[in-house]
Amino acid sequence: MKKDFPDSSSGTPVLCLEKLTIGYGDNVVLKDVDFCVNPGDIVTVLGGSGCGKSTLLKAMIGLLPPTKGRIFLRGEEISGNVSGRALAETRKRIGVLFQSAALIGSLTIAENVALPIIEFSKAPPKMVHDIVRLKLEMVKLGGFGDYFPSDLSGGMKKRAGLARAMALDPEILFCDEPSSGLDPVTSAEMDQLLLELNESLGITMVVITHDLPSIMTISDWSIMLDRSVRGIIAKGPPDELQKSPDPRVHAFFHRQPTPED
Amino acid sequence: MEGGLPFEVRRPSAGEYILVFNAPLSYDNAGAVWEGLNHFLREENPSSLVVDLSATPRIDSAGIALLRAIQRICERRRLELRFESIPPSALHFLTLIEKKEPPAPEKPPLTTARLITLLGFLVLHAWDEVVGFYRFCREFIVYSIRDLHHTRRFRWNEMLYYLQLTGANAMSIVFLLSFLLGLVMAFQAAVQLRQFGANIYVADLLSLAITRELAPVFTAIIVAGRSGSAFAAEIGTMKVNEELDALEVMGFNLAEFITMPKVIALMIAGPLLTMWANFSGIMGGIVVGIFTLDLTAYGFMAEIFSVLSMKDIITGLIKSEIFAMLVGLIGCFRGFETGTGADSVGRQTTSAVVSGIFAIIFADAIFTVIFHYLGW
Ligand SMILES: Nc1ncnc2c1ncn2[C@@H]1O[C@H](COP(=O)(O)OP(=O)(O)OP(=O)(O)O)[C@@H](O)[C@H]1O
Ligand SMILES: [Mg+2]
Repeated sequence: MKKDFPDSSSGTPVLCLEKLTIGYGDNVVLKDVDFCVNPGDIVTVLGGSGCGKSTLLKAMIGLLPPTKGRIFLRGEEISGNVSGRALAETRKRIGVLFQSAALIGSLTIAENVALPIIEFSKAPPKMVHDIVRLKLEMVKLGGFGDYFPSDLSGGMKKRAGLARAMALDPEILFCDEPSSGLDPVTSAEMDQLLLELNESLGITMVVITHDLPSIMTISDWSIMLDRSVRGIIAKGPPDELQKSPDPRVHAFFHRQPTPED
Repeated sequence: MEGGLPFEVRRPSAGEYILVFNAPLSYDNAGAVWEGLNHFLREENPSSLVVDLSATPRIDSAGIALLRAIQRICERRRLELRFESIPPSALHFLTLIEKKEPPAPEKPPLTTARLITLLGFLVLHAWDEVVGFYRFCREFIVYSIRDLHHTRRFRWNEMLYYLQLTGANAMSIVFLLSFLLGLVMAFQAAVQLRQFGANIYVADLLSLAITRELAPVFTAIIVAGRSGSAFAAEIGTMKVNEELDALEVMGFNLAEFITMPKVIALMIAGPLLTMWANFSGIMGGIVVGIFTLDLTAYGFMAEIFSVLSMKDIITGLIKSEIFAMLVGLIGCFRGFETGTGADSVGRQTTSAVVSGIFAIIFADAIFTVIFHYLGW
């Protein structure tokens, strides 16, 4: 059994959210969200549709400034009034796999992966090619570098998106529903890939998902959001959440309609 | 460090070199290490190399690529290379890219035969487009005729929406451009005609040129830029989002559902806008007449009415009707031709405007010949 869920007092977490309130205009989606992610952990963010998972992701990657509260990356605050340059520096340290993979359609897979390397790193141009090959091999897309995104299947696109997210060896990787739209086998492969990368590179991950098998396989910790309370209703290792007496958590993990509905 | 190299060089015996990397091999210093190494190889010319990684704190992706680059350069120089205490994960990743790369497909050289082949493909492709466009138009016409009998199938609301979009919303820009066109035309004509005291003939020249030629063509070009491109972009986006597939599977005919409301709206808007452009252009001319030719508005108008016949206006409107149909059909056709991806939408949008304008000019030339022989 693992120790307690990490908080800001436990060593140096990679990512820490402190009393985070986020929303669009007057519409508060989440309030007072608190959690930390320790190095090398995989944390999954769960919750039903519309509870604000994607919104939370947008806030964590700096696309949506929080209304209140702070976000820390390795102890440095990255929310609030940071300059554009500081934000750009921060963004080089994080990788994001978007739900739709968000590959640039006019570029080949290799060019997509090379994009951040050429743009944001000091890697000598001669080595970019090898780095790209390495990333593609890591996600098992070796040999597909010259394909265009439209020529790949959904699972391959996601893996290519993953390769691009990993291009600069980020300290933390965010994934928005990596298994959505994939068949069970492909999504299991995706889970396996995330685990492999986590193991071999020690990369910290925050994964948004509502795919139950995937939650059970990859999570060190899970955080469950709920729309009615606009915040976290449970956190802990997934096997513990599964046994939770809370009817909302129970409903989620046992695929039942929510009691209120 | 020796001579400012970003690594330490040890020489246990002659010709044998050990490079000790103390700094991380990372994105930040891979470039510096690579340069240092090249410098070292140029200076020392070793016969064998040991790269000691036992003191390297961190090797990231750029570090792996660097190790691979070192391997390559040693292969090329036939140096014996050994990595000392390489971390297992780094070794794993290194072997991933040590695998032989598939050779890049060679581009065949550009010979005369190949040039002719390419030309042939180009012609075939153009022919395919023509045939495709013909089929597209045929389907449009077949469904239009069918809908004449089943007027309730026609999407009236949709058509009115596009009429607003392509017609009413274009009025200001059409007015502005035609007014300026009339102004410039009249002014240029005035400069010449004044020399002969033929001031009043500016009205004749302007009204004929505007109604027969300039207003229809000019309006059609504006419509191609505004609406033809918009149709292509809208349909292209629907195609990329698989909306067209969805409609087709639900049993809608795309010519009827998508193309018809747009093209019909444009065919109504085109002549109306042309009339509007006739009016605006002549207004521009009148302004010049009053201010630079000492003509009265009444005199100018009277001259116009004496020279302009219904025939001139009608031929202009016939042209504008055909232009509008061509622009609408080409815009929609290009939209349907969209492949996959956002860039394809952009390409087809551009192509809708370019081929739209081409079709306008081409059709105008044909009209000129036809009207000439008809004596209109
Ligand atoms: N751009 C926006 N402007 C205003 N409100 C938004 C915006 N995006 C999302 N919302 C609202 O925020 C709430 C949370 O949406 P969000 O997309 O974060 O949910 P989610 O948990 O990701 O759902 P799903 O699992 O379906 O992706 C919803 O009520 C939604 O209406
Ligand atoms: Mg979402």
